[in-house]
Amino acid sequence: MKKFSTILLFISVLTIILSLFGQAWSSESSLEKIKKRGYLLWGSDAEGGAPYVFPDPKDPSKLIGFEVDLANAIAKELGIEARQSQNAWDSLIPALKRNDFDIAMNGIEITPQRETEVLFSKPYYIYTEQLVIRKNETLIKSISDLKGKKVGTLSGAVAQDILMKIEGVDLKVYSGQVEPYEDLAIGRLDAVLLDLPIAAYYAKPNPKLKFTGHPVGEGFYGIAIKKRDAELKNEIDEILIKLFKTGELKRIYEKWNLWNDTQEKLFEALKGSKAYVSLEESQKAPIYTFFPNLIKGAGITILISVSSMLLAVVVGLILALMKIYGRPPLSTAASAYIEIYRGTPLLIQLYILYYGLPNIGISLSPLAAAFIGLGMNYAAYEAELYRAGINAVPKGQMEAALSLGMTRGLAVKRVIMPQAAKIALPGVTNDFIALFKDSSLVSVIAMVELTKTYSILAATTLRFFELGLITAVLYFAMSYPLSLLARRLEKKLKGSRR
Amino acid sequence: MIRASNLHKYYDDQPLFKGINLDIKKGEAVVLIGPSGSGKSTFLRCINALEHFQEGEIDVDNIELHSINRLKPGKEDMEAVRKIRLKVGMVFQQFNLFPHMTVLENIIEAPIRVLNTDKNKAVEDAIALLKRVNLEGKINSYPDELSGGEQQRVAIARALAMKPEAMLFDEPTSSLDPEMVGEVLSVIKNLVEEGMTTLIATHEMGFAGEVADRVVVFDKGDIIEVGSPEEIFTNPKKERTKIFLSRILKR
Repeated sequence: MKKFSTILLFISVLTIILSLFGQAWSSESSLEKIKKRGYLLWGSDAEGGAPYVFPDPKDPSKLIGFEVDLANAIAKELGIEARQSQNAWDSLIPALKRNDFDIAMNGIEITPQRETEVLFSKPYYIYTEQLVIRKNETLIKSISDLKGKKVGTLSGAVAQDILMKIEGVDLKVYSGQVEPYEDLAIGRLDAVLLDLPIAAYYAKPNPKLKFTGHPVGEGFYGIAIKKRDAELKNEIDEILIKLFKTGELKRIYEKWNLWNDTQEKLFEALKGSKAYVSLEESQKAPIYTFFPNLIKGAGITILISVSSMLLAVVVGLILALMKIYGRPPLSTAASAYIEIYRGTPLLIQLYILYYGLPNIGISLSPLAAAFIGLGMNYAAYEAELYRAGINAVPKGQMEAALSLGMTRGLAVKRVIMPQAAKIALPGVTNDFIALFKDSSLVSVIAMVELTKTYSILAATTLRFFELGLITAVLYFAMSYPLSLLARRLEKKLKGSRR
Repeated sequence: MIRASNLHKYYDDQPLFKGINLDIKKGEAVVLIGPSGSGKSTFLRCINALEHFQEGEIDVDNIELHSINRLKPGKEDMEAVRKIRLKVGMVFQQFNLFPHMTVLENIIEAPIRVLNTDKNKAVEDAIALLKRVNLEGKINSYPDELSGGEQQRVAIARALAMKPEAMLFDEPTSSLDPEMVGEVLSVIKNLVEEGMTTLIATHEMGFAGEVADRVVVFDKGDIIEVGSPEEIFTNPKKERTKIFLSRILKR
């Protein structure tokens, strides 16, 4: 067994080394290889990706969208076909650099900091940022009215940079483009600023929402290409110019309702040199400038973990008592609760709580949803721990208490629970550590805790590595003392029965 | 004072008691003997409702206890159970002291929480009881710091703190080292001599002969013989009693 795993390790190390140097060894260029292979692999995120890339509502196994059409048109010019590779939007660039696909095309704005990471093709679309508000909103007329308002946008989008520069905006950052508009419609947000194509697709048809103000922050979408693939970039640039000249590009945009006068400027952009939106090169800031944000995120992580653990302990205790000492309707309900919560993913529970409940009229704030979601989930695990603890107390203890005239309730409180608690305590500490780390899951419900802070900062600066290390260190610094405490408790309790 | 009439008990479908009758008078000391699994412990546990029975009746000082619906016990049944438990103290083979409480806390817990005794009074009573069982020096010890014999004497003091009118002893010396059996038996003997109504399930035949007013022989869930210690030990009427006694005396 040991020998086998050594071999396995050796093979995997070898594979990694080979793939690292593979590029250097082969004399073929990427363009030649792609042509020989017969398909162009392009990375994008189909999750909530309309009108860019999204599953066809009539046949969800098929992807459609204006970028699907564009990818097919480009591939056709190369004499091959296009294949989409699914990847989370905010990590498209790292995945491209990791060689997961040949190009990334998914409404990626051309920005100076991204250009330090990858090459960009000539722009293929001019986007603007569109402010969307609720129909009955009268106070917000443009982005200058956003001070003190809750404004949603997409993590890593240019709109996020624009909003961060406006003082006093209560910024809520999402990883999908559906959720901000949903939260806006039910009043969790006051406004949403996102790229016009997104607003046109998701907000325009919603009767509760309306556009306001002039589009702001004109910029370009470009196709991201690996730094070493300059040849591929030149080829794609030529194809884009050709598609524009033949009217093919216009035809695609008209099909998706995306053509507007602004796009006429594309021609100059395609011909000319750099014309992207000039954003400050603030992302080269020294690493310590991110500390306040990260530490604030860590504080929220602690707040969520501690409060939901308290909820889990209380609900778990009630469940355990119901299951052991309750009679059928109660004990069955407790068992069902425990099985359902343990048998379904926490992530799904969080989604239902935060995005599902508004459908039936209950709208929770992110903090409330995180607290209830984590607490109720861990309650199921706590209940099983306490149940094991209670069952580990010898039967004679209850009998002795009863024979002294105690009621069952008094016996549980005074005799059984103090002993069960000592048995369960190390497990509870371990669960707390686990919950602490699981709290990162609540980032999916727009709760900006440590992990979410990290992903926002990393997506805007693309410094995934160094920020990731710092975030991991912060988590460790918080969880390690807990582990030590758990181990000490365990040792102490082993020594005596008291 | 304690009467069992026509007691039936089944485990699943296996019958254990098929109609047991026994009447214990106030102040009487009755010793239950018989092979392991013959039902003497179960019988004691039925008296204070730690075990359910399906038919028949237990009567303690005119409090009647009938077969109880386990899933939905009636209010009156629960009330009867509590009253009986307050009248009858019990001492277990495994002592069952509360390990997270000191000796004193073990003893005063139920008087304070169940009888609402004033704490100072409960402590005073506890100290007097500990003197009676010769353990006044261990008042602040925890159970795991005591020997088995000491733990059992604390358990007896704990039961007596509730001022019961009768005491049930379920094989009180069976899990003790031999040198500790004496100290526990002498405490029980003192109780009997003070006139406490006592039921004792035991394998200590010498002790049975010394303290018992009557000896009851159990076998296979049945009472096969009842008599004075002299009758049972010197001149048993039933063959099965003779076999049991000869086996146990040979050891």
